[in-house]
Order: sequence, then C-alpha cells, then structure tokens
Amino acid sequence: MRIRARPIAPGRATGKALVHPHPFSFVGGVDPTTGAVLDRGASSPGASVVGRVFAFPHGKGSTVGSYVLYGLGRRGVGPAAIVNVRAEAIVAVGAVLAGVPMVDGVDVGGIRSGDRITVDGDRGAVELPEVRARPVVSAVLRNRGRILIVRRSEAVGSFQGHWSAVSGYIEGREDPRDRAVQEVREETGLRRLVLRASGQPVLARTDTTVYVVHPFLFDVASRAVRLDWENIDHAWVRPEDLGRYDTVPRLEDVVASVLPVADSNPAPPSRRSGKMIRRPSPG
Amino acid sequence: MRLTTAQRRLLGKGTPAQRTSMRLLLTVARLADADRLVPITSAHVSGASYKMIGDPGLEFLEDFARDARVRVPTSVNPLGADLAQWRELGVPETFAVKQGRIASAYEAMGARPTYSCTPYDELPRPAFGEHLAWAESNAVCFANSVLGARTNREGGPSALAAAIVGATPDYGLHRDEGRQPTVIVDVRTKPQGIDYSLVGLVAGERVGDGLPYFRGFRATEADLKWLGAALASSGSCAMFHLAGITPEAHRARLRGLKVLSITRADLRETERRYTDGTDADLIAFGSPQLSAAELRDVATLVDRTPPRIPVWVFTSRAVRAADPDSVAAIERHGGRVLADTCLEVTLLEHRFGTVATPSGKGAYYLPSLCHQKVILDDVRDLLERYA
Repeated sequence: MRIRARPIAPGRATGKALVHPHPFSFVGGVDPTTGAVLDRGASSPGASVVGRVFAFPHGKGSTVGSYVLYGLGRRGVGPAAIVNVRAEAIVAVGAVLAGVPMVDGVDVGGIRSGDRITVDGDRGAVELPEVRARPVVSAVLRNRGRILIVRRSEAVGSFQGHWSAVSGYIEGREDPRDRAVQEVREETGLRRLVLRASGQPVLARTDTTVYVVHPFLFDVASRAVRLDWENIDHAWVRPEDLGRYDTVPRLEDVVASVLPVADSNPAPPSRRSGKMIRRPSPG
Repeated sequence: MRLTTAQRRLLGKGTPAQRTSMRLLLTVARLADADRLVPITSAHVSGASYKMIGDPGLEFLEDFARDARVRVPTSVNPLGADLAQWRELGVPETFAVKQGRIASAYEAMGARPTYSCTPYDELPRPAFGEHLAWAESNAVCFANSVLGARTNREGGPSALAAAIVGATPDYGLHRDEGRQPTVIVDVRTKPQGIDYSLVGLVAGERVGDGLPYFRGFRATEADLKWLGAALASSGSCAMFHLAGITPEAHRARLRGLKVLSITRADLRETERRYTDGTDADLIAFGSPQLSAAELRDVATLVDRTPPRIPVWVFTSRAVRAADPDSVAAIERHGGRVLADTCLEVTLLEHRFGTVATPSGKGAYYLPSLCHQKVILDDVRDLLERYA
C-alpha cells in the first residue's frame, strides 16, 4: 500500500513502525541518550525509537523537544523517520535539525507497530509493502440531526452482522463521490442527496488489509429506507449514540471526520488544513 | 515555493548550517502555507537560558556554531543567570559553566552579546513596516503592536535559521490580512500602574490566539509593554491594536467582530487569582527587563521605602551600566540589579519559595517555571507592604 502524504522534512527511510496512539513529547517521552520510550502511553513495554519509523498523531509539550530529537539523531539512537497526522513546529523543526525524514497527513490508525514501512519525505508518501489497501467509500446520511446506520448481512464479504454507514468498494479509477452516491441509491433507495462534506481518509486496519475509507456526509429529505441484500436492518441514530452499537472498525472516526458535532478524537482537519491533506492512492 | 537565486544557492551549496537553516525555513513555510521567504532586517533568538534548554539545547547550539554565522543583526534572549554575579547569588558552578558555553556559542555565530528580552529598547529600533524574525513573545507583541514592524511568534530554532539566511517565511503577521483584529475588547475602567498587566492577563485568557482590538483607554509606550507581555503569556497573542494609540489601529476592520468587555471587577478578580502566596521572600521587578526610566523609578521608590526582604531588579546590561546611581541605591538596601537574565528564566528556585512582583508575565510563569508561589501587586503597594 502506498499513501500520499505531505512532505515535512526531507529524506527517505525504511524501518519497522512504532505506533504511539497519543500526542507525544520528546521531552520526558524518551530517554535522550538511549532512545527508550518513557511515555508508555500504549507503546509496548521496553519500546525504543531507535531505527524505527515512529508514528504518532502530533507533537506536544516543551519546545526543547526539537533539541532532544536533534540529540537522539546525533547519538545514532533516533527514529529512522516520523509520520504524523498533523505536524506541528516542535517535532517538524526537530526532524529537520536531526535529518530525520518526516511526513504528515497520514491517519496513523492504519499503521501497526511492527509493520515494515518506508517514508518518503521528499515527494511525500508512505509505503507499507506487506499491507493491502482496499479503498472504500462511507456515506453518512443525515436527516434532522440523526444519521443512518445499517446492519451488514451474512451475504457480504466482510464485517457480517456489524453496523456501518452505507459503504462500498471503489473500483478502478472511479470518483469516490460518484461511488458514494451510487451505493446510497442501491442500499437505501434514497435519491435526493445533498453533499455537505467530505473528510480526510480514515484508515481502518485489519491484520493484512487497510480499508482506506473516504467519508462523505449527505443530507437526505426522507427517512424512508428500502434495504437491498447487503443489509438486514437499519436505524436512525444520534451521532453521540454510535458507541452503543457493535460497529465496523472506526465508524465513529469516519462520522467525526465529516460531522463536527460528533467530534471525539482526533480533531477533524479544518477546511483550511483539509485542503493540504492529499487523498491516498491505492496500491 | 518561490525561492530567489541566492536562497536556492544556500539550500544547495551553502555551509551545513546554511543548508539546515534553509530546510528548516522551508518546513516552517510548508506548515504555514507560505510560498516565499521575505527578507528581514533583524532577528531575535530565544532559547538561551540553560535552565530552559538544558543539555540538549547546549549540544545543538555548540554543534551549530561551528559554521553558522548570522547575516542580519541578531540579539539573544536572557540567560539563566547573570554571569557577572552568579557566585554571589548561589548559582551552582556547573550551571554557570554551561550557561557560559551557551552564550559563547551564540557569540561565535555573530549574535550581539547582550541578553535581553526587550530588543525594542536597543538601537536602532525596527521601523514601521520592517520585517523581522523575533522569538520572545513580549518582544514580538511590542514590535508588531507598538512599532508596526512585522514578525510572527518565532520559536528559537526558526528565528536562528532566519538570522542565518536573512529571511523568514512570508505568512501570518508579515501580511496585511494577518494583522487585522479578530475580536474587540472594550475596557470599561481607566487602567493605571499594574492594571495594564491585569488587562493583558484577562484579555489573553479570553482571546487565546486571536488578535484583540482594545478600546476605551489611553496608554504610554511603557504601559503597552506590560500589557503586551501579559497578553502574550496568558494568551498566544502576537499583536494587538489600541484605538487611537497604536499605529495600525486606524486600518482595522471592525464590522462583524465579537465584542468582549473588561471591567474593574475583572481586574481585581485576576489579581486575586494570580496571587497564591501569603508571605514573600523576594520582591522581583522585571519580566520584561526594566527600561532606563523604569529602573530609575524603582530605585527612587526602594530608597524611599526600603524593603526588609531582598529586591531583585532585572534589566539589560546597557541600562545597568548607564545608571550607576540607581544601581547603588538598590544595592544599598540589600537589593540586586541583574543584567543578561530575567525573572522566570533565571535560577531562583534554589533560594526562594514565594515571589512578590507587579509583572503579569512573571506571575503567569513563576509557578510552572520556577516552582514559586506568587503575590501579584502594584509596585508601591508591594514596597509598602514589605517596608
């Protein structure tokens, strides 16, 4: 799988991924002489950044973090590369000083510790050669403050019995938006759709596959849904109640990326930063 | 990104420090969506106190200084101790030695060897409309708001990179649209003395990273220094306007902006909220460093009502050298006039537990950076209380 990203610090490097799912401070977060991770967060015990492609949402904390990252690189105990959801100045500056390639605009939820990963900080890309990408669309339908979820039938190829938004695979080079509109028609029979938002792709991960989910928000004029064979049940729910359902992976993040009211974590990109985040390309 | 031929040459064929600096500026530009670098007339670099940047910062600066040379006049923020009197103040020798190495690294790069958080008081002052790359939030706020010069709130490394290259990414406060206010703040009381710091603290809390347009009071340049320093501490403001006073206020577009108001009750409540100490063991003046006039005023007051606890006064090296009479008056009553350092970046936690100060910026940072309790109060009231 290759994901397009925004180049932050130049260079290209390959290594095993180390994923830290929370914002990270290099001050206090890592031993400056050995590269051992001190901020346990959800990193495995004994983890170290040495030679790893270090993936975390974004930097936080003291600006001295830039110098700590420089010092790690100088001692040869720094990360091979850095991947962020949204780069901020402390880590970006540190990466430049340390000569560590860095990109952002990548949903690190799609990466697992141990994945082999290459970061291209010159052209802006992340490659996971051992992981397959399945680009899909996810259409969040909204009617008077409630959104539609559907329960997947036993006849579909994945996540049978789980609740999801209206979704489907993107085939070939087709426009994700066209695919989303078509899926809504097939799975719900609803026709009068008004596109309200499209979100940054969310990466929903299984062992060897990343579902690259392109989220869309449509307003619909009616709640009269006619299901096809792909789903066995439907419900109009409040976005904040999604947690009560057994859903497909990361449905709440997909919804949050297009619906600011359902904002949980991470924060959806603003309109302005959203335009800088490129779509991933499958393959 | 549009680069000039000279900038392209630095990126490709410059010294290692020049190439690193160019790469760093391009990364900052990318984060901010800037498409070119704008030439600057001066730089002011933060990250000079050993207490703040520690061994990681010292290591970087010494490495960088091997071949980094600044291209524009560059000043440096205060150090973690006054290197002329660290022994008397009980600063550990290892701290002083490493602090000296940081200063030497900056001097090797060609920076001016005065360590000040008030570069706007040094000559020549930036002129209206000049582009700068300044770190140190109070200096940024003063340069933009009071002088009409243009600088973003730089970090230490990005200001240093700009000094090496002689240019900075063109975005934010370098552009006309970035200097427009985002919120109106009506001040419904006549501030005097410490009130300017309090207005800054309250406004910063309420405005966050916005750009406030103040109305309803008058102020001298010195008043605005204290207001801006507090504003840039409790908020991440880099500029403000004051109707009828600051040089770009008349260009502000106010239609549709949200209006906040600050009352006398807000100021008193803020003073109480930032005061968590009951009995001070140090009175501190500075943060930002005192100007020549402010040093003279404090010396007069200290002489008139000598305090029974130590007084530390922070100022610049030039101001201290120019006014030996004021220095003598303060020292006569057991005080110290310290230069090249400032209140919250200096080492004082090894000796004190509660600091009384009229500085809003000091009151904001002392608990976290110096582990101090704080008594925030007006200069005269403080000196009378501890007479």
